[in-house]
Amino acid sequence: MKIKTSFIIALVIGLLCITSWELYWRSQGYFPDLDDDKYLWARTRAKVDNASKDDVVLTGSSRVLFNIQVPKWKELTGIQPIQLANAGATPLPVFHDIVENTDFKGTVIVGVTPGLFFSTTFEQAPPWRRAASRSEFYDNRTYAQRLNYALSIPLQNSLAFISNDDEKWHDDINLKALLNTIEWADRNDRANDPPFYRFQDIDINRNVRMKNRMLTDTTFANSVKTIWKFFMSGDKPPPDKDSTIAFFVEDAKKFTARGGQVILLRNPSDGFFKDLESKGLPRDKFWEELVAKANVPAYHYQDYKSLSAFETVEWSHLSASDADQFTENFVHILLEDGLITNLKTN
Amino acid sequence: MLFNSLSFIVFLVIVLALYYSKIFNWTNKKRMLLLASYVFYGLWNPPLVVLLWISTIVDWTAGNKLAVETNQRKRKLWLMLSLFVNLGFLAFFKYRDFLLDNFTAAVNSYGYGYEAQPMDIILPMGISFYTFQTMSYTIDMYKRKTERARTFLDFALYVTFFPQLVAGPIVRAQDLITQFYEEKKASVNQFLWGVFLLTIGLFQKVVLADTLLADTSDKVFGSQKILNTLDAWTGTLAFSGQIFFDFAGYSTCAIGIALMLGIILPDNFKYPYASIGFSDLWRRWHITLSTWLRDYLYIPLGGNRFGIARMYAALMITMLLGGLWHGAAWTFVIWGALHGLYLIIERMLRSKIHIKINAFNGIILALLTYIMVNFTWVFFRAREFSVAKNMLSSMLFLNDEGEKIIATFDVFKVFVLISFLFISHWLMRNTSLKAVSLKISPVVLGIFWALMLFLIVISQGSGEQFIYFQF
Repeated sequence: MKIKTSFIIALVIGLLCITSWELYWRSQGYFPDLDDDKYLWARTRAKVDNASKDDVVLTGSSRVLFNIQVPKWKELTGIQPIQLANAGATPLPVFHDIVENTDFKGTVIVGVTPGLFFSTTFEQAPPWRRAASRSEFYDNRTYAQRLNYALSIPLQNSLAFISNDDEKWHDDINLKALLNTIEWADRNDRANDPPFYRFQDIDINRNVRMKNRMLTDTTFANSVKTIWKFFMSGDKPPPDKDSTIAFFVEDAKKFTARGGQVILLRNPSDGFFKDLESKGLPRDKFWEELVAKANVPAYHYQDYKSLSAFETVEWSHLSASDADQFTENFVHILLEDGLITNLKTN
Repeated sequence: MLFNSLSFIVFLVIVLALYYSKIFNWTNKKRMLLLASYVFYGLWNPPLVVLLWISTIVDWTAGNKLAVETNQRKRKLWLMLSLFVNLGFLAFFKYRDFLLDNFTAAVNSYGYGYEAQPMDIILPMGISFYTFQTMSYTIDMYKRKTERARTFLDFALYVTFFPQLVAGPIVRAQDLITQFYEEKKASVNQFLWGVFLLTIGLFQKVVLADTLLADTSDKVFGSQKILNTLDAWTGTLAFSGQIFFDFAGYSTCAIGIALMLGIILPDNFKYPYASIGFSDLWRRWHITLSTWLRDYLYIPLGGNRFGIARMYAALMITMLLGGLWHGAAWTFVIWGALHGLYLIIERMLRSKIHIKINAFNGIILALLTYIMVNFTWVFFRAREFSVAKNMLSSMLFLNDEGEKIIATFDVFKVFVLISFLFISHWLMRNTSLKAVSLKISPVVLGIFWALMLFLIVISQGSGEQFIYFQF
């Protein structure tokens, strides 16, 4: 009898605690959403294995994630692009994975964020590892992991307190993340790293939209700018232009030889990043050389009025509404150039 | 499939519903459990279920022959077949690259330029556990210590029973197969006690090991720097807690899940960090492995029957092989060697010094044992000897200028948690969870249970692997 009583008490109090926890976080502005994690990426990557010649795969860094809106693209062309870009990562290992491990013969759009694209081909370097680890996970994931993720989707879509993003944001609300926000004076007298708040939402198709708060809360937007400056501070390894271009060109040739199409896209940047990129990775020495050697269609935002008419919110990414417009403008350019299919008219 | 995953919750609910439904008789319930166990294993890597089948068929056949064969030479051959297949699997899947690397290093030390091709063979989850379990059946059959399993189904379920398939407890045939002969059904109290144990196990794994300790341990042992003494100790203590909560958590889950089905599994841990001495430690840590090694290795090697020197040799060989059982690396061998050495020194001291244990000197000796155990954990956790060397020198106050990489709060968190772990082991040393739970008020137990449930839910573990799955 004793254990029955304890069980009922545990069940009632446990449910009350969990409900209170959920309501508390909802009252703090949290809502049920998905995490950008390796499971969602792998689920999306699986679509490439069954993709047709008309399909489009998006690779690149966070600028492709934020700026190319999947629903808008689908609305305009009837084709839902497969979003495989990874924040803070070079697109090279993902493109390499598509070239080497699939029969895909459609279009791959490769976003070129200079600081990441030209960073490295060293497999242990963070920009490479972040992307490659997801491809490796896709190859090695077990049936149990697939099942776990399928079961987690309705929970993530129903409960606000579930937050376990790969990025480990400062405002994640799992127990480990909450404990990590406790700041005591460091034993090294080092300043604590500035907090990096999640400033976007992601859906089941990996479509990312910048949070509206970035437009309404200057302090919040400035916290992201502070993080960019923090990431760029200190000694950084120099870009490895020759190796990265050679690696990409080899894959691009292999991919186009089997009938695939590669399109390069340079997304907008402003302020701090624009200065950094134009000084450290000047267009003529990096982008132009890449385009010349790759010999594939390439779009630099500065060359198109319709792509340069935007101001990035925190020097690097577009707001959700601007991203819709940017996507629409970019799709129109690609359609005019006859590079992608419009199922709605064909 | 992992106990700390959503798919397992669904799996367990389905298994329990079928098990307690009236649509199956006992034989069909066992068939359902067997099929469920293959699904449990196969959802990780389906082709490797074949290894389980081979082990099952070979040992079932060998057991049947050993039961009726009277010719001693033929009996030995049947035993050898079983050992060859099971140890062959282990050698091929677990030790091949280790043996090849050492062979290559030895050959090249004579000036040959030999280069071996690593095969990158996947290590079947829990292979060390189920091969040891199934070998115990044929060895016991050979020694006529156990009865032949009545049916193939009973035997196959013994090899594959999902709660303890991939990380133990390693159960002897006579303790588990016989439970399958009669229909088993948990009473309501047994079932709820099983749910309680499952909750405690998940709490240990998800909250204590993964959420509170793993990051500190990973950061320290992943660092290539020479560390400050406090950082080195914090990382090692964090690992000592992590591995206990991870492994004891798994065992507690396994025991709880089996109990929900009305099946009793043996205890695998009895508050080991309050052990007084190393003989005591091995009676409390991973009990089913240490008794396996005692019965099938230490005693056959002579045990204490042939004098002191032979006993020490048997102890050392047993612990060295016990180390190697955990992983195919020299760091694990050193871990085993240290434990062997500790056991030998303890036996030497015991024959000369006689201490009457009381509460005061007991806790001091337990603390001393725990500190000594922590030095062995350094070799268990470090992937390279250079890391182990740096860690040990830092722990021994030899690196005054070592780097501080652990934040103040994390140092505090680890020391509080490990102090709590040690004290709770000391207080629980001569009792059991069941006995304590019967003494406390059901309301307090219920609140404690609710708190564990709540912390498990808000921790949101990512469902990654238990440490012992790799062994």
